[in-house]
Amino acid sequence: MNQEMINLKGLGVPEKELFSFVTHNDVESEKITAPRYSYWQSVFRVFFKKKINIIVLCLLGVIFLFAYVYPSLIEYDRYANLTDATAKHLMPVAALEKFGFHLSWILGSGASGEPTFDTIWVGSRISISLALICALINMTIGVLLGAVWGFSKKFDFFMMAVYNIIANVPYVLLISVLVLVLTASFWTMVFALTVTGWVGIAYFIRTQVIIIRDREYNLASRCLGTSIFRIALRNILPFMTSVIVTQAATEIPSYISYEVFLSYIGIGLSEMSLGKLIYEAESAMVTTGWQFEFWSPVAVASIITVVLYVVGQNLGDASDPRTHM
Amino acid sequence: MAKYLLKRLLFGLVSVVIVVAIVMVLIYSLLSRQLVFQQDDTYHKLNNNQKTMYAMRKWQEYGYLDYVTFQDYMNDLNRKGEVDDATREEAVAIGRKAEDDSELTAEYVKKFTETYESQGFEVVRLNAVTARRKLASGGQQQLFATRDRPLAQRLWGYFTSIVTIDTIHAIDDEIDIGPRELTFTTHDPVYGGEKFSPAIMGNGTKHKYLLYFDNQFPYIHQNLVTITLGTSYSVNQGKDVLETMTVSQGSYVTRPTLYPTGHSEESADDLHTATFLQGSREGNQVLANRFDDDYTNVVTEKAGMSKMGYSFVIGILATALAYLLGLPLGIFMARHKDGLVDKLGTIYIVFIIAVPSLAYIFLFKAVGGSFGLPTTFDMNSTSKLMYVLPIVSLALPTVANMMKWLRRYMIDQMNSDYVKFARSGGLNENEIFFKHIFKNAAIPIVHGIPSSVLFAMTGAIITERVYVVPGAGNLLTQAINFYDNSVIVGVTLFYALLSVVSIILGDILMATVDPRISFSDKAR
Repeated sequence: MNQEMINLKGLGVPEKELFSFVTHNDVESEKITAPRYSYWQSVFRVFFKKKINIIVLCLLGVIFLFAYVYPSLIEYDRYANLTDATAKHLMPVAALEKFGFHLSWILGSGASGEPTFDTIWVGSRISISLALICALINMTIGVLLGAVWGFSKKFDFFMMAVYNIIANVPYVLLISVLVLVLTASFWTMVFALTVTGWVGIAYFIRTQVIIIRDREYNLASRCLGTSIFRIALRNILPFMTSVIVTQAATEIPSYISYEVFLSYIGIGLSEMSLGKLIYEAESAMVTTGWQFEFWSPVAVASIITVVLYVVGQNLGDASDPRTHM
Repeated sequence: MAKYLLKRLLFGLVSVVIVVAIVMVLIYSLLSRQLVFQQDDTYHKLNNNQKTMYAMRKWQEYGYLDYVTFQDYMNDLNRKGEVDDATREEAVAIGRKAEDDSELTAEYVKKFTETYESQGFEVVRLNAVTARRKLASGGQQQLFATRDRPLAQRLWGYFTSIVTIDTIHAIDDEIDIGPRELTFTTHDPVYGGEKFSPAIMGNGTKHKYLLYFDNQFPYIHQNLVTITLGTSYSVNQGKDVLETMTVSQGSYVTRPTLYPTGHSEESADDLHTATFLQGSREGNQVLANRFDDDYTNVVTEKAGMSKMGYSFVIGILATALAYLLGLPLGIFMARHKDGLVDKLGTIYIVFIIAVPSLAYIFLFKAVGGSFGLPTTFDMNSTSKLMYVLPIVSLALPTVANMMKWLRRYMIDQMNSDYVKFARSGGLNENEIFFKHIFKNAAIPIVHGIPSSVLFAMTGAIITERVYVVPGAGNLLTQAINFYDNSVIVGVTLFYALLSVVSIILGDILMATVDPRISFSDKAR
């Protein structure tokens, strides 16, 4: 053997091309040679690959800017022009002529001579805040309870009974009673919308959990002794992310719509909100020359809800790992 | 299966009872009672003790509490023969303050207090309010016992009074109305007694006609069993919720009517609906000329449909339209996924889901109005065009929902093994789509049919308000605004029953369409 090796050296083959002994390394053998995968990075990569998402996200930014920053930059007083009869119900062109060119007047003026554009954004701030807070509370309670509901069979029986009862109490009645008992303030509305609002979400999550709960990989995981808590957190939650984001995308705009609906039937907030604005301007719709007052809050409310919905839906699509390939 | 469904129905009914209990707690316990008087001018005009008494009377009518005045108690004793007229007269005159009572009065007041306190009542004595030694306005002294109705009693009372069966003792036995009996006639007197038309009539019953025929669907009618969901107090005074929903509206329809006394004239009265109203003919010459007994309370016939009728016609046509449009569109979108129709359809779906419903209903109204369609509903108009916009406004959102789900279900089914198998077996795409995929995808859609049909009856709040449709959709919000508690409870019960029944019907329908679904215990 020795003899032969020497012979090989004599052939002038470089050392590199020869076989050599490799020592086994425990640490190295654990490493997986694959491209690095980060879940959230992939989510955003997929999300931003679509050009439309960038546009919609910019729109969302503009909406938030107008709803939260713009009202604090202007001095909004609804009744500043109350005594000026010529300032009321103006079309945009007339308002711009009267008050000079300013952003506030590009949508004309309202019933008390207030700039419609400013009113809309002051109202939007309330409506958007209401939607975001309600969605946050309802989604949190709904997802947590829904997960437990899906896992525990004993709890399921009890919760189904609760669900059947709560789903049958008229929503309108419950909210109007709460608004009458407490005051028609912002936080009352939040309470009224969340006191039973989580049930629907919890039921939805329960169904999703039941679908994944008994899949083979979870069964295997349980056989290997993983705790239920870890299964829920590590095995099921990642699966649910896209479902939860999609659900949130439908929830957030739905609260804005719901607030509009409640204001319209007379159970609204006392603060100026988009719904109240639409409700108050309803009579202006049928009067020639005043339609702008009605259609502009309707249009802004629609734009806000559509943008929120589209962003949420596409984020939901992007957070589904199956789209990351 | 029957056993399982029965169990489901029972569970459903239990939850309906709990729902009614919750609603009762909400409106009777949580809401301030004072709200009832918000729009009540009489209440605001009254002063002092009189105001309190008025409030008590109203609260009893609205169902909050029971109250008995000392006077009622004494009259009751008098009627039972325990005290004579003179004693009653003397005892009723209570003093301005408790100390001023005569000995006799004090004795009966004590009895009154003991009787009612033992039943859980609270006895309240309001001393006279005086201004310069004279009685102030409404300051008369008062003595009464009052008790809040407990929830259990209220629930029990409500559910036991839902179904009433008319008997010949329905009217107070003390009222003399001649022989109490049921009579069967083959010639209904309403038609002059010459035409053959069997009817069962009663004397002593609440309704005069218990069973009769007329020319309106379903031609045979009965008044023997009456369903009472809750008698309205302010929305439609004295009428039951069901009656409010089902009675015709609009202008009167007059036709020659022959009254029991033989008097004949053009009138809208429907004599078959006559109910007893004690003493109604005394001092009312018009009624005395027409009726020979006190069954004078009749419903008038009107040209329009009932609240529920309008809601149902609009709702059911909208549902039909939604299925007719939504199913083919959904199938087409799934069939040509990522095609032009699919993309346009998706935009439409996003629009309907995201935009507030109020906004697009107004949009439809504006667009429809610019095409010259009537935008407001008029009961007296014969034009069918006024139905168009409400129906379209109701149908278009449902279409979007149908498209969304059918497309989703069909695309999910398209990757199934049985589709690949069918394709490899040589079936063409149309056969695969309609015979296999559609059948499977339609199962969840089928589940929703009973509920959309049944809930067409309850009407839609916004649509009806926007187009001024006199439908049933606004009944609940109206009742809430007027604090009409029994209507709120009645409407809630009606909705809850509909929802329980529609889910069960949906399950049955689903099991009929798909033989794989079974609700019997064996298969589970």
